[in-house]
Amino acid sequence: MFEIEIRTKKGFKNSHGEHVLSDISGIGIKGITEVEYFPLYVIDGGITSAEVGTIALELLSDKITETYICRYKEQSVGKSLKTESSAGIDVSETAACADSAILPHSAFFVIEVWYKKGVTDTVSESVIKAVKDLGIEKEIKVKTGHKYYLYGKVSQAVLNDIATKLLANTLVQEYVAQ
Amino acid sequence: MKKAKVLILRTAGTNCDCETQAAFELSGAVAERIHINALIEKKDKIFEYDILAFPGGFSYGDDIASGKILANEIKNKLGDRIKKFALSGRPIIGICNGFQVLVKMGLLPDPELFEQVSTLSYNDSDKFECRWVYLKTEKKIKNESNCVWTKNLPDIISLPVAHGEGKFIPDDRKLLDSLNENNQIVFRYSSKDGGKPEYPLDPNGSVDQIAGICSTAGNVFGLMPHPERYIFALQHPAGESFCRGYGWGKVIFQNAVDFVK
Repeated sequence: MFEIEIRTKKGFKNSHGEHVLSDISGIGIKGITEVEYFPLYVIDGGITSAEVGTIALELLSDKITETYICRYKEQSVGKSLKTESSAGIDVSETAACADSAILPHSAFFVIEVWYKKGVTDTVSESVIKAVKDLGIEKEIKVKTGHKYYLYGKVSQAVLNDIATKLLANTLVQEYVAQ
Repeated sequence: MKKAKVLILRTAGTNCDCETQAAFELSGAVAERIHINALIEKKDKIFEYDILAFPGGFSYGDDIASGKILANEIKNKLGDRIKKFALSGRPIIGICNGFQVLVKMGLLPDPELFEQVSTLSYNDSDKFECRWVYLKTEKKIKNESNCVWTKNLPDIISLPVAHGEGKFIPDDRKLLDSLNENNQIVFRYSSKDGGKPEYPLDPNGSVDQIAGICSTAGNVFGLMPHPERYIFALQHPAGESFCRGYGWGKVIFQNAVDFVK
């Protein structure tokens, strides 16, 4: 299974990250100085790393403003985050395919948000259709998520506050913040 | 006289196809809304039409990025026909989501190249922006575009925008220079008097306030604002009319219909 992280290229505005930063400040939390937001896609189903590269380049990223990092993982799409340790948020993992490997630039926290098991992921259904349009006819499973890099200094309790108050609807989504 | 035939391509999430059809029909054309699956089944049907329109909406729910899935689908399944249609000189318009599709499949700014070299990215505000804006037309920009869609317009017109991803970004400075040199930038967001707009009149932070571009040949045209929403004067908040109750949006459709007559 592959996890693809879509990143904003250097020099382009990360509008949603800036919006989240403003929201964090808006609920009275201090200590976070920058936020970057990146969509995540997990694709499972016997596809090759070359196919994943094609999907990331041709479909999931914008050639002008975005780049991507792909990571190979052993876990399966159907599992809940709560049954796994670390849930794949270690950005130092080796990139299986990368347009350009970019690592965060300083001390940071990561919050990942995913749908809970059993919740319909409509974007994943669109991705499955679009992958077939690319000519990749394999039966795949897709899971979509959101990744936020938060730069600054805050406690774990505050991180959890940011996740539950701003980033995750805990009725249908689960998160990992660390 | 034979009426111009317009193909309005729709798919899941398209929601401005009926207004676009009405705009073309009011301009004297026969317009049909065709689902993409029907066109994929009979690919050469496209050549039965004089004009091709990609209407606004939220194709495939704007999933991944606005227009991206439809752009890929068209390029992979109809690419050769679409390119041939464009290079034949027949008019093509992409409105809002349709503009995003044209740019992301690479039909704009250069149908011959047919590669994505620019994008329409998230608005600077990270919000969906929906309002009437002012547009400087090619006349005000003082270029001499070949664009068949934007003739007979005054210096500044007003049209509504409604989008979350309308920030036009060319790949590099060289492309921007070439768009300027080739008179391909036909609409820019402006203030009421034609000056540089501030947010919210600049709704998205587009490079050089670009709101609409055209191919060098003048037949392929894309814009973020919605001309089909200003066909009648009554649609304007101030009821502004240029002629007998019509709005400036109608001129854009009329230009293409007259061109193919």
